[in-house]
Amino acid sequence: MHKYFPTQEIGSLKKPSWLLNIVKDPGISHEDKAKARNDAALLNIRTLEDIGLDIIYDGEVRRVEMYEEPVRHIKGFEFAGRVRSWDNKYYRKARVIRDVAYQSNFHATEFKFIKENSKHRIKVPVTGAYTLADWSFDEFYKSKSDFVIALAKKVVRPLIKDLVKAGARLIQIDEPAATTHPAEMDIFRESVNESVKGINAKFVIHACFSGNDYSVLAPQMPEIKAKQYTLEFANRDSWNLGVSDRERKGYHVLKLFKEYGFKGEIGIGVTDVHNDRIEPPRLVRDRIIYSAKALGDPSKIYVNPDCGLRTRTRSVAFEKLKAMVEGTKMARMAMSA
Amino acid sequence: MISSYTVGIYPRSEDLIEATRKNVKNLSSLYLKEKKEYVTLQKKAGLGYICDPLVDWDDIYRPFSKLKSANLEALNRVYETNMFYRKISFGDSFKDAGNIIKSNLNISLLPANRSVCMVEPYTFAESHTSSKYKTREDFIISLAKMLRKEADTLAKSGFDLIQLLGPSIAYNPKVNFEVVKKGLEIITKGLKAKTILHLYFGDISKKLESLLDLPISGLGLDATSTPISSIKRHSFSGKLLAVGIIDSYNTKLEDSDEAIAQLNDMFLQTRPNEIYVTTNFDLQYLPKYFAVKKIFRLGQIARGVKIA
Repeated sequence: MHKYFPTQEIGSLKKPSWLLNIVKDPGISHEDKAKARNDAALLNIRTLEDIGLDIIYDGEVRRVEMYEEPVRHIKGFEFAGRVRSWDNKYYRKARVIRDVAYQSNFHATEFKFIKENSKHRIKVPVTGAYTLADWSFDEFYKSKSDFVIALAKKVVRPLIKDLVKAGARLIQIDEPAATTHPAEMDIFRESVNESVKGINAKFVIHACFSGNDYSVLAPQMPEIKAKQYTLEFANRDSWNLGVSDRERKGYHVLKLFKEYGFKGEIGIGVTDVHNDRIEPPRLVRDRIIYSAKALGDPSKIYVNPDCGLRTRTRSVAFEKLKAMVEGTKMARMAMSA
Repeated sequence: MISSYTVGIYPRSEDLIEATRKNVKNLSSLYLKEKKEYVTLQKKAGLGYICDPLVDWDDIYRPFSKLKSANLEALNRVYETNMFYRKISFGDSFKDAGNIIKSNLNISLLPANRSVCMVEPYTFAESHTSSKYKTREDFIISLAKMLRKEADTLAKSGFDLIQLLGPSIAYNPKVNFEVVKKGLEIITKGLKAKTILHLYFGDISKKLESLLDLPISGLGLDATSTPISSIKRHSFSGKLLAVGIIDSYNTKLEDSDEAIAQLNDMFLQTRPNEIYVTTNFDLQYLPKYFAVKKIFRLGQIARGVKIA
């Protein structure tokens, strides 16, 4: 792996339409559907490797999506129905009606397959306790804190333990809801620390931007037992080239992380996942160089898209990742010049 | 028995969700069918005021994107929820407003005891942008004038009760009440309808004195974010009070006996001129199956409250 600026993806890619057709077809056997899922996973793995990413996964090709997939496997939940995200986009929201319980490693098949089929470093995305609770209806627990901590101790921790037992060394805890409730940051912090307690692995937190520019996250970061944060920056940055504060307005918050004493790594989002426009490699380069200076240590910068790329077409997603890898190479050259 | 009504947008059924996703040809007739069902359901539940369920609205602001000067922009989170709305950037003026809300309702479905909602100007201005106005206050005042035209049209169309949705007033720790007051005054002065300002997504306990001063007929509070105990300390004499006792953000069904006891005690102490029980905000945060149960529970609670 590269000494400076290792490249990685965040998790999800759009599923190939041929896979969706096969999976939805009631006339196709379970064995053939499983084979199709393997083929799709292998396609994603090879594509991400060929693009040149240092750290990969399988594009979460076997998962329904990041909330519904784990909830299907956790005791205590029942799906209530679909609730709007925006316009005519909906997600299936569950309600917790009794104490939650872990049943088995629901990511075992995908992880084993990736491990057997790639020599690259693997980062396993796992949905975090805070987000699972925040996106659910609670009909059982006395407080949000009780719900979140129960999920952390009784579901996420045993899941991560099983993944580590199976050989996982790098776990990304996905927490898009992490900063949506500024008054609940202490619950979030405790949930992560409980989720990883006593487990020997490298932990990464992925949190989405929620309108507060991560300013509520910064004070918590030194207290959370995570080595790295993969965060959104590109979607608030300008498209102008340059490495000054004026051009790189999306990345100013990195200085705040340093001020609060965070000494870990940051996976900087250099690719906007809500826009089809492909970032020019020189723009990616400048975002990386600025970030390295802002954080004060280039060895602590990893490079990734802002978030999972599943909202883009596969061709746009792959072009964005290629540009990201190319821009990272340019940044490495600039650093060594 | 006291009166009751629901606030905001209702959830779409699973069939309607699929139809909107596929953009089927007969979508408008499916919207109408579902609206009729919801109107019948509100009547069956015995609600005091009946609303258009707005299942054809993508968000509470979207009809205003039809204004000539409006442009739809990026998605924005609805406060701390997991739902998003599209920001609108307004260019020039709002000259073509006045019939936007009415033209997006199915008034013929509604009985005479009808209510409607619209966002109040302070919240509206915070949620959207305009390049035309130099200050937020100018934007608020201009929006208030536009909303007044809308309110007049609605009042003329028989809406006795206009719900003014003001989540930003509840959510923001600091609120410029002078500006809020100016905006509301433009809407309510001489308006031939009652106006209830609905405050949710934040605890309003510490703002109650300022809120009671506003030029509106009454206040609507969210019992999940504002403790009822804090309300009981204030007199609502001369005002209307609507209590959002039904939680639209959780599937758990309210215990009617517990709710009725709480409300009886509260109304005894606050002595408002008129009393309503409501949902705390839009039922669209629930799947339809649970929303329906909650509508019936709302009616049941309203029937159970006895004013001494």
